Amino acid sequence: MTTVQPAPAKPDEDVSSITEAITRSRWAPFRSLIITVLNLTVFFTIWQLIALAEVINPLFFPKATAMFSAIYTGFADGIIGPELWHSVQNFTIGLIIASVIGIPLGLLMGGVRIVDLILSPYVWAMAALPRVALIPLLILILGFGNSMQLTIIVLSAVFPMMVNCMEGVKTVDPSLIRAGRVFGANGPQMYFKVILPFTLPFVISGINQGIARGLVGMLIGELLGGGGEGLGFLLDRAGDQFDAPMLYGTLLILAVLSVGLVQGMRWVERRAAPWRDQSRV
Amino acid sequence: MTQAVPSITDPALLGDGGTLTGRKPLIEIRNVSAGYENKRAKTRLIALRDVTLEVYPGEFLAIVGPSGCGKTTLINMIAGFMKPLEGTITVRGEKVDGPSADRAMVFQDYAVLPWRTVYNNVKFALENRRPRPNKDELATRIAKVLAMVGLSGFEQSYPYELSGGMRQRVGIARALVSDPEILLMDEPFGAVDAMTREAMQAEFEKIIAETGQTVFFITHSIDEAVALADRVVVVSSRPGHIKEIVDIDLPRSRFAEGVKSNPRFGELREHIWGLLQAEALGAKIGGAGV
Ligand SMILES: Nc1ncnc2c1ncn2[C@@H]1O[C@H](COP(=O)(O)OP(=O)(O)O)[C@@H](O)[C@H]1O
Ligand SMILES: [Mg+2]
Repeated sequence: MTTVQPAPAKPDEDVSSITEAITRSRWAPFRSLIITVLNLTVFFTIWQLIALAEVINPLFFPKATAMFSAIYTGFADGIIGPELWHSVQNFTIGLIIASVIGIPLGLLMGGVRIVDLILSPYVWAMAALPRVALIPLLILILGFGNSMQLTIIVLSAVFPMMVNCMEGVKTVDPSLIRAGRVFGANGPQMYFKVILPFTLPFVISGINQGIARGLVGMLIGELLGGGGEGLGFLLDRAGDQFDAPMLYGTLLILAVLSVGLVQGMRWVERRAAPWRDQSRV
Repeated sequence: MTQAVPSITDPALLGDGGTLTGRKPLIEIRNVSAGYENKRAKTRLIALRDVTLEVYPGEFLAIVGPSGCGKTTLINMIAGFMKPLEGTITVRGEKVDGPSADRAMVFQDYAVLPWRTVYNNVKFALENRRPRPNKDELATRIAKVLAMVGLSGFEQSYPYELSGGMRQRVGIARALVSDPEILLMDEPFGAVDAMTREAMQAEFEKIIAETGQTVFFITHSIDEAVALADRVVVVSSRPGHIKEIVDIDLPRSRFAEGVKSNPRFGELREHIWGLLQAEALGAKIGGAGV
């Protein structure tokens, strides 16, 4: 009855590979940089104008230029340099210690039930406890020294790292585990080829949170620990001396430091797990 | 006329052509029941009850049934992910005890490793078990299956750069590359769009004609089951049990000959539809009565 020819199966259109050269303006790569520079210039100019108009008491609102010159002379006279170095060094060492302890332990907690059962109450309690509460105890035990400052950094950073790593391992897609089993992955192969790569973004976000909390820990230790060293100490002293330009300058240095770290980690995250960021071009 | 094929437990009763008759079954599912424990309610949900089924070498067996009737449970037991509560599953006479190289699987959600390129995803199926093929053989085999599924040129792409249909092609290539005896497929085209799905069914029929795997194929699409399978097992819910096994006596290669306009296709489709609909109605009436 029917004379209609059945339509032949159409090949999937996806398969024909089509690539096209993209032509962009030469300025495109610099665009966001230019915008940022302009943005900051406008910001500091307005700041300067408000300060010059003295609508706010100059005691706590210095001119932007005064702040920059405080930073400049601070470095030139060797006031900022050693403190900055002290903080950076402490922070780096603290973060490394926290990673070395927190990441493997967190991964272990995610993978081995009994370790999880034993450690979890302590980890959650410590992760939730505001770090400042530990200062008096730490001062009691460790005194006003570097070891106390380092300890607070480690304690601040280690728990977010552990929790993230643990969550990462626990959320591994069960389908991927099944695929691993079907295609013959044994214990170590499963761990290294499926679980760890899946967990990597969680590890990185654990490190991110560790950095953020570690910075807070660092400042708390330096501000309240009375060690007489570090950027926190610089802040404390500038406050005591009503040295607003120096106070603002130190804050600016801290801001630059934090933004640099956060952006750096975001860069690492994109590189390490490009599949998580599907919409990015 | 629609012709109801009786439920088969004896291979000698199997359909015409004699292709399956007299062969030893490759997979034997004997009186299998399966369930899931609910620890809180201290109850056990029976997902499958007393399923007996044989799968013959080189056969394309499709399972159709409503959602939740235990299809995935059954395929997971054949794959070796879980054990039956009662009964046995054997492959070539050996009791299934975990996954093995003779059974590869294609997953509904693809389950490709997002951090690996297409090439390395396929390689995954060859690199874990021993003996491992050497580098040249690896490359040749991977190139061959990628060409087969139409992914040549995408070796270095990552899954997130591919469409759903293409990701599943990776899943199929990965399952085929080690040339396993059995291909287990759990609604492999369930998540791809209708047009791509049709194209992939056609391609898949061609691929299987070439490679000759025994295919255990789960679907909830009656059309898909009739178009692809040698036999269709109709499973009813709940708990799932086999309602009927329908011989699909359509000539191959089916897609090339426009199977869907074949009147016999319509008959078989109607027949299976009737079985499942009676099921759905029965369930409703039964549910209201109780
Ligand atoms: N892991 C599980 N735990 C508890 N119940 C489950 C689990 N997996 C499936 N079930 C139940 O078992 C029944 C059969 O499920 P499944 O085999 O996935 O069905 P299908 O694949 O046919 O849709 C369903 O009622 C489902 O809710
Ligand atoms: Mg299912």
